[in-house]
Amino acid sequence: MRHLLVMALFAALAAIVFGAISKDTPRERWIYGVKVFAEFMVIGLVLGWLLRFIP
Amino acid sequence: MVKSERIEAQRVEPTPRGAWLIGLAAWFLPGSGHLALHKWGRAALMGGAVWVCFFVGLAMGGHLFYVTMEGATSFLQWSVLIQIPPMAANVGSGILYIACWLMDIGFRDDPQQAARATYEYGTTFLLIAGLLNYLTMLDAFDIAAGRKS
Repeated sequence: MRHLLVMALFAALAAIVFGAISKDTPRERWIYGVKVFAEFMVIGLVLGWLLRFIP
Repeated sequence: MVKSERIEAQRVEPTPRGAWLIGLAAWFLPGSGHLALHKWGRAALMGGAVWVCFFVGLAMGGHLFYVTMEGATSFLQWSVLIQIPPMAANVGSGILYIACWLMDIGFRDDPQQAARATYEYGTTFLLIAGLLNYLTMLDAFDIAAGRKS
């Protein structure tokens, strides 16, 4: 559980900066930030499950 | 920078000197570049993200890097060169890195610290804090140079 929380915190911090520096309008920035956060989380979980099968 | 801003940037005049100072301040003290530009929200969000990332990394027992010649005879040896990229990432944290270096926090190769379950996470957070601050610095520089609003 703690690993997931750390990953979520990491994704949130990166998404905040990525969202803030990109796009033109605040709405687009929010959407992009949420998208980056979701991508970090999904890719992290997928990679985590893939690595589970590697001895 | 988005495409519309890049096109706009091509039309603007040479970079004002103040922008370089803002960029330097933004690197040295995370968030200060945007504060100087009165971009309070961005300063809190982006600067805050860097500070949180750095201190969470330290709290998790992360390791900070610097170039050392230990065991090497030349700067061009692989064992020395491989230390440069992580150090460059860490240096991005500005005063946070310098303060840790002066107080010798996070630099020691301590086996007990390395054995902690969160050691790798902490090291990654410290690296990313520096890299995020480089992005924050470039954003502040672009705003100060009039290339971005």
